[in-house]
Amino acid sequence: MPSVSNSHKTNEIAVSVRGLGLTYTTAIDRRPTLKARVKSLGRGSKHTRVIRALDNVNLDVEYGQVLGVIGTNGAGKSSMMRVIAGIIPPSQGRIEVFGSVSTLLALGVGFNSLMSGRDNVFLGGLAAGMSRDEIESHFQEIADFSELGEAIDAPMRTYSSGMFSRLAFSVAATVRPDILIVDEALSTGDAKFKEKSLNRIKELRSDDRALILVSHAMATLRDVCNDVAWIHKGKLVQRGAPDTTIDAYQEFLQVGKSAAIDEDV
Amino acid sequence: MSAPLQVYEPFTAGLPPLIRYWKSLWSRRTFISEYSRSELREQHFDSVFGQLWLVLNPLLLSAVYFLLIVIIGGASDATRYAHLTATLFLFYLVANSLTGGVKSITAGQRLILNTAFPRIMLPISAVVIAVFKFLPTLVVFLIIRTIVGLPFSWQMLWAFPVLLIAMLLALGLAITISCINVYFRDIASFLPYLTRSLLYLSPILYEASALKPKLMALEVLNPLFPILDSWSRVLVHGQAPQVSSLLAGLAWAIGVFLIGTYFFLSREREFAVRL
Repeated sequence: MPSVSNSHKTNEIAVSVRGLGLTYTTAIDRRPTLKARVKSLGRGSKHTRVIRALDNVNLDVEYGQVLGVIGTNGAGKSSMMRVIAGIIPPSQGRIEVFGSVSTLLALGVGFNSLMSGRDNVFLGGLAAGMSRDEIESHFQEIADFSELGEAIDAPMRTYSSGMFSRLAFSVAATVRPDILIVDEALSTGDAKFKEKSLNRIKELRSDDRALILVSHAMATLRDVCNDVAWIHKGKLVQRGAPDTTIDAYQEFLQVGKSAAIDEDV
Repeated sequence: MSAPLQVYEPFTAGLPPLIRYWKSLWSRRTFISEYSRSELREQHFDSVFGQLWLVLNPLLLSAVYFLLIVIIGGASDATRYAHLTATLFLFYLVANSLTGGVKSITAGQRLILNTAFPRIMLPISAVVIAVFKFLPTLVVFLIIRTIVGLPFSWQMLWAFPVLLIAMLLALGLAITISCINVYFRDIASFLPYLTRSLLYLSPILYEASALKPKLMALEVLNPLFPILDSWSRVLVHGQAPQVSSLLAGLAWAIGVFLIGTYFFLSREREFAVRL
């Protein structure tokens, strides 16, 4: 994944999603075991179920756009982000990504909780295809932004969930890819860090970058995005100006502009 | 408009484009070295006492097994002890690859769910870690060998190809079992029984030549048998290995590696939805 960005012009396509469908089989048990399989032999019970996560989604993201993605839980938002990032292959359709593919690097940090935050940042970056030097050059900035101090060298199992996501967000926001996908990582940390991360997102908005933000924080999306896509049950319901789309979504939810949905929760 | 950097399309069953996969894997080789280093550091093998434990543990183990041989088998000599340590240490290279590899995919869940990378890196790292743990024990063996007074010979250089075969087999096994564990998470609990059986079925507590012919016939099914037999011939007795053993070991290693890798590569794209 080259992170050297050749400059992209505004309105050039960053991500093109055509007829995207995603159907996958997954285990019903959270932890499928051979024992359970053997015990239920001959009983004809099912062990897997088929999930239709996405259905014929067409979506273009241009450079210079900040696309907010909204929808209820289980609507397929995260699945779509994973397909765009190349983590899950699509079942139908075609996805083209023009530019250095951003990753959901954010949440990949901390995959080994026994290792220190520093090790995890390095390993996450290396797995995403960055070079050691590249990570090294960003590391100080990441550590500073996360405000973890000496805790960066402590094992990640000692981190609070707030510290965890602060480090994750810092990685995502410091490594500057052409296309950045932030999946529900905005609304983490305390109020101070929340504001800091929101400001960073605003800083990252630029003509040669595309941002895709998945969030339930409607107020934030209204504030930051210049385009919003609403996904429901794997289908793209509406795409357009933030206010129009979010209003329609909120009306659909029949909650109106209640405090609960405007709040950064 | 420039050509897209990445295109994702549905895949048909089978392998991903191998050349691209290999390139992507090769460009991430620092991950493998960095991961093994962090893992060893986390297990404190970078400190003096950690290193000492790395050596002490197999030494104590070999002492216990030697006790067993002496009690059950009666008389025993220094060569037997050298044979035991040589084969036991190599056996633990394979066993550690298996125990490290089995959970490599399921433990890497966070990374797999959030980053696109060749998943095979994880079991490979597990084997690299096992090799790093093995190397100091090899030095210990050479010291034991010198103390015991076994003569050195040029034939001992055969140890290199034998070790390579053993590592390839370990890699194949680790890749296979890490993939199986995604579908059956309790494989890890069965693993101790498997490695224990392998230990007794392999020429470690006894020499290959001491085995009854009837049992010997069964040993074609044990991939470790020809490898450990060659290892002992080469390193303990300073003889050239039997060509048939070497070839049998190589065939096993290549076979397990190819089948395991095929199995893994054709499945790895759905790991993210199975975790």
